[in-house]
Amino acid sequence: MADAPSDRTRVHRHPERADYDAATVHAILDEALTCTVCWVDADGGPRALPTIQARIGDILYLHGSRAARAWKAVAAGAEVCVVATVVDELVLARTSPTHSMNYRSAVVYGRAREVSDIAELRAAAKAITHHVLPGREDDAAEPQDDDWRETLLFAMPIEEASAKIRTGPPMDDPEDLDLDVWAGTLPLRTVAGTSAPAPDLKPGIPAPGYLPRNGQEFPRP
Amino acid sequence: MSEPTAPTPRTRIRRLPELGVYERERIYAILDEALYCHLAWVGPDGDPRVIPTIHTRIGDTLYLHGSSASSTLRAIKQGLPVAIAVTLVDGIRFARSMFEHSMNYRTVIVYGLAQEVTDREELTKVFDAITDQVAPGRSADARPPTEEELRQTTFVKVSLDEASAKVSEGFPEESDADLALDVWAGILPLRTVPGEPLDDPLLKPGTPRPGYVTDWRRPGAGA
Repeated sequence: MADAPSDRTRVHRHPERADYDAATVHAILDEALTCTVCWVDADGGPRALPTIQARIGDILYLHGSRAARAWKAVAAGAEVCVVATVVDELVLARTSPTHSMNYRSAVVYGRAREVSDIAELRAAAKAITHHVLPGREDDAAEPQDDDWRETLLFAMPIEEASAKIRTGPPMDDPEDLDLDVWAGTLPLRTVAGTSAPAPDLKPGIPAPGYLPRNGQEFPRP
Repeated sequence: MSEPTAPTPRTRIRRLPELGVYERERIYAILDEALYCHLAWVGPDGDPRVIPTIHTRIGDTLYLHGSSASSTLRAIKQGLPVAIAVTLVDGIRFARSMFEHSMNYRTVIVYGLAQEVTDREELTKVFDAITDQVAPGRSADARPPTEEELRQTTFVKVSLDEASAKVSEGFPEESDADLALDVWAGILPLRTVPGEPLDDPLLKPGTPRPGYVTDWRRPGAGA
């Protein structure tokens, strides 16, 4: 397994849960629908903003906006860290301190550049649409040139990154195993509800095949 | 509790300001429903740091499991400035144009000073609340922490006085030109549902599964 790319990506608490392989980090960034972007503002305070992301190779694209002042610091080259988390299972142990979750999280450190090349913008917009629901990117109308005025996309290399993963049953101490308390894991899934067509949808346009039906698993890239 | 939070320059919603929510009840409902949060602070070299962690709310205070951040936290006795983000995605909003795609979501951002919880009685309450955050009712069954366990775990607390929410819902809004496109548009709701519980391989035979596991749902979450 790969070593931590830097000291700050090294997992100190529960180091056995760390994974520094790029493929692991990539898979978490792909599966998590959203992420949180963090940076330090001009006053030295921490800032955080949720957004949507997509990955092309080892570049992470982040959706920003021109109106949110926060993104100006990122555009100006502030150091950022991005975190994405997927919760797989609740872990119910016999004691309250040993309760946990089975989860996969990825953290990426670096700086993000504003994407200005039209070809790259188009590829990133397509990747974000694919990230939301695979198949949609071939259906939705591609951006027009003036669409770029409001929206800002950032690109960030996935070089300094780490993943942290917990799997498996609760880890109670041997002396607690005898307690009369149920212990185990409860898997959680994200499923689709019943899709609703827009009230102003042109008549005769059927729901596309890539749209999951009610109760079906939400497809991830 | 009904007093709204006063938006500060950093909690005021600037992009789509009409989506900004500053009422405590609505902010608290989002925090209570979320299973985890992202906790950010400034590292020793002035760089941003973040971890996912679990949280629980008691009144106007947010408590977070902070063991991963504890070394930084202990170095700053007067409190560590933090930013906390919580995101709930309720659905995908499919527009005809790629650019108008969006999500129906509820997010909360909290800014404040994180302080370590040191009071024994308060810590015990936090343990109960955070255990119930996983599955409501669970704290009545699970063994409470021992003195040693209370010492080993770091919880931090942050006042919810500087917090804001952003709530986006409804159908996509598109220009007349885009409405004419032959592309499906609408909403796909998403929800988190439990699967089949899995017994611990070391479970004492005959221990029944409690109702809060077999009928698990998030507080405030729809059926």
